[in-house]
Amino acid sequence: MFDVLPDRLPWFIGGPILGFLIVAMLALANQPLGASGAYVQTSSFLRRQGGVAVWRVWYFVGMFIGGLLVTQVLRQGAEIRSGYDALREVFPLWAAIPLVFGGATLLGYGAAVAGGCTSGHGMCGTAQRSPASLAVTVTFMATAIATTFVLRVLTGGAL
Amino acid sequence: MMNLLGLLFGMLFGGVLAASNLHEYDTIHAMLRLDEFDVFWFMASAITVALPGLWLLERIGFRTPLGGSLILSRSMPERHHVEGGALFGVGWAIAGTCPAPALVMVSSGAMLGLVAIPGIFLGLHLRERQHADTLHVGDGEHRETVSAGT
Repeated sequence: MFDVLPDRLPWFIGGPILGFLIVAMLALANQPLGASGAYVQTSSFLRRQGGVAVWRVWYFVGMFIGGLLVTQVLRQGAEIRSGYDALREVFPLWAAIPLVFGGATLLGYGAAVAGGCTSGHGMCGTAQRSPASLAVTVTFMATAIATTFVLRVLTGGAL
Repeated sequence: MMNLLGLLFGMLFGGVLAASNLHEYDTIHAMLRLDEFDVFWFMASAITVALPGLWLLERIGFRTPLGGSLILSRSMPERHHVEGGALFGVGWAIAGTCPAPALVMVSSGAMLGLVAIPGIFLGLHLRERQHADTLHVGDGEHRETVSAGT
């Protein structure tokens, strides 16, 4: 709407802000930030289970609203589209849907097995100097880069 | 108070991801193809800021206003960390997104995000159903599953 933000915030601004948020949440409330934990709590909340950390449900909602504010209000505002431009250049929609769904299921399952994802282990866990988080992070970086390479080879370099 | 903080931190977190274009498949794809290192630097700079800050707070025995004495969760790597991390990485590369950016994807109008989010929920749920009693705790955000507060 207002178009006040640059097309892409440089990493040396976004990264440190995120690091500051991790410190601030631990310093204020002694709670680590992580997105897959927010999914777990939100799914428990929706199924009306007991013992839900409700603030993580708010965190889940907040991430969506924050994205909305930046992409639709502080920037020009984006139109409805499929997304996944580079993938869609190679695969039609009917093939992209199961690929995205299958990949997402796999990463959700993996995050549950590992006990965290790119935010919980990758940034928050390693910043707490947890050896387990470092192990998770090194592993997922390695398999993700390897998988991307395999996909590139399988598509004859198109992806 | 915690709910308000949750909303606020979620908005800031999601906002930063959106401003950095981390919700775009193309950004993650270019990173994992090693064409562009911005996301690696993004993560590294977040850790570079947070690690010494937390180290200092822990060292001075900081008392948090809302959650008692600061306790950082640290654990040793076990088999499930490597297995889970390996699966996560494969899924991350295929879907080109992870839990937080998938939400921002939808708020940015990219509708395939609506395919990714249910997939993530399904994956987390499948594991939970298998191991309802032994959900791994102690690291990252899943510490919450032991001491669920509000």
